Amino acid sequence: MLWRIARKEFTELVRDGRFRWSAVFVLLLLMASVGMGWKNYREVSAQHRTAQEAMRAFWLNQGEKSPHSAAHYGLYAFKPRTPLSLVDQGVDAFTGVSVWLEAHKQNEFKFRPAQDATAVRRFGELTAAMALQLLMPLLIILLTFSSLAGEREQGVLRQLLSLGVRKRVLALGKALGVAGALGAILVPATVLGVMALALTDDTGALAGSWTRMALMGFLYLTYFAVFIVVSLAVSAQAASSRMALLILLGFWIVNGLLAPKAVTDIAKRLYPTPSAFAFATDVQKALANGVDGHNPRDKRNEALKVQTLKQYGVSRIEDLPVNFAGIALQADEEYGNEVFDRAYGTLWQTYTNQNAAYQLAGLVAPVLSVRALSMGLAGTDFEQHSHFASAAESYRRMLVKKMNDHMIDNAGKQDFAYMVNAEVWKTVPTFEYTLPDVRWVLGNQITSVLLIGVWAIAGIVALVVASNRIRTD
Amino acid sequence: MLEAINLTKRYEGATALDGLNLKIEPGEVFCLLGANGAGKTTTINLFLDFVQPTSGSAKINGLEVRQHPIETKKYIAYIPEQVMLYRNLSGLENLDYFSGLAGTAHTPAQLIDLFSRVGLSPSVSHNRVSTYSKGMRQKVGIAIALAKNAKALLLDEPTSGLDPKASSEFSELLRTMSAGNVAVLMATHDLFRAKESGSRVGIMKQGRLVDQLKTENLNHTDLERIYLEHMHD
Repeated sequence: MLWRIARKEFTELVRDGRFRWSAVFVLLLLMASVGMGWKNYREVSAQHRTAQEAMRAFWLNQGEKSPHSAAHYGLYAFKPRTPLSLVDQGVDAFTGVSVWLEAHKQNEFKFRPAQDATAVRRFGELTAAMALQLLMPLLIILLTFSSLAGEREQGVLRQLLSLGVRKRVLALGKALGVAGALGAILVPATVLGVMALALTDDTGALAGSWTRMALMGFLYLTYFAVFIVVSLAVSAQAASSRMALLILLGFWIVNGLLAPKAVTDIAKRLYPTPSAFAFATDVQKALANGVDGHNPRDKRNEALKVQTLKQYGVSRIEDLPVNFAGIALQADEEYGNEVFDRAYGTLWQTYTNQNAAYQLAGLVAPVLSVRALSMGLAGTDFEQHSHFASAAESYRRMLVKKMNDHMIDNAGKQDFAYMVNAEVWKTVPTFEYTLPDVRWVLGNQITSVLLIGVWAIAGIVALVVASNRIRTD
Repeated sequence: MLEAINLTKRYEGATALDGLNLKIEPGEVFCLLGANGAGKTTTINLFLDFVQPTSGSAKINGLEVRQHPIETKKYIAYIPEQVMLYRNLSGLENLDYFSGLAGTAHTPAQLIDLFSRVGLSPSVSHNRVSTYSKGMRQKVGIAIALAKNAKALLLDEPTSGLDPKASSEFSELLRTMSAGNVAVLMATHDLFRAKESGSRVGIMKQGRLVDQLKTENLNHTDLERIYLEHMHD
């Protein structure tokens, strides 16, 4: 009986001109956005590969120079694009995907929000994900708002129930029928997207993305299921189909349009971030005067000199068996790292707190949970941006230390006149970045995982309860 | 087949049905006559378990409706004033769907045969229901009842709004069904149709069954007179 109801619902929907037109519209939009995302992914991935190779070549061919000059010469690190970023670009477009690595500085590409950008930008832009998060629920609402309320108004419901059809079976059958009709839109879009990727992927990135892809598919199906069951529950209990439409459109507006902006603003108020200027000033002050403001660079340098002379049992810099300039540079670097760790650590913690508040708000608007998880699975959320930034920063520190250590051990009395060549540059490995695994992603988004599950279960329970209480008059 | 025992339904401050006692045997067509609000539709709703009785009981094939809401529906078919079907499905698809939900599966040939039996041309069976007249939809309702092999029919103003020819055809179908031992309870305003179709008529007023008459002993004029007398009391 359940499948008979589902099949009838599906047949009726696909024969409905309104469904056909809206399905074509949504399908075209989805395919266009996936197509644009794919083009962007291909271009940016190719550019990154070319640039990464060029950077390595520049590094190796930079000629003879002081190791410290080479550390200043620096290089770019590029965050690899994931195939799923064609669905959800997440925060990448706003935080950037490359960072300049050089001595003395932890560059700020990843802290654009601190540069007075609106906080909402960190939570995504209009992409295929947006079409899935906003347009599909709207389509679901338009397909289902009169599903039960309309049948009650027309009297069909009385005829159906007079046949001995259980109310909850009727409601669940309708839910399955709507799901099937949506499948007619989603399956072609998904197949085309995956085929486009499979045919053009020459990096092997796709092969490593199947789990993420499957989970993303499951996530969106769950999200649509939530909308289907909630819409049918409202349709079952609303006084009329018009009232059901009003309630559901209200929910859609709150969920998709108001909640993301409101929650972002609330999160920012709860956990305010400094402006870019204030942040940079604080970092510069700490570097110059010490973290506590009472430990200036010249004082630190003097203490280092005393400690080094004592360590080697000599009384003059000239008598040291190592290069003191190199020691001073590395010590300054390490002090700078402490400053950066403190400053950026605080800033990142603020963003983490904001994101936690954002995820928690998924309790009132399921799109917030879906958005967070979708970005996470696409590898474009803040946490993975931060993961990449940490990896790049570790690489920067390794590179600078390698140059400084080489100078300490080999420069003798030459200081900055000491020159080295490609043999030394080759000792610095290429920057390789591996995305964290999917368990790490889900661990970061555990609140969203739980909340989308809560929405799905609560929606099904609401549908069963609402359909059992449906009136026939 | 259909039995009401002291069946009463009260809404806040108003009695819709007051102690109805009624028994309709297989092969009998019982027509409930009465003005709007007399309790006819409430009676049918109680047999369908769409509303709960305040007291008393409704039984179908000896089973209490409240206690066996799903099982009792196996025996009945319900035809409302306007049989509502799915406009984007053909008549045949509607018949297949509704009879399938009732638990009876039929081949396409059997479904077309049912179409013919209720006087619908097989040529229209594949047309979408949105092109059907009200009379055709009512006949599809009868076809669903036939497909279901219902033992009792609950009809709520089924001929309202039908032209005389369609109405006559509908009555003929009812007679055919009752001849096959189906018990029929029909709520109607139409005295003429009640006399033509019914074996018994009951007159309801303000929730009470005030009179029961056998139609074989009545002519149309007698029925109209008795009915109006009750209405003017």
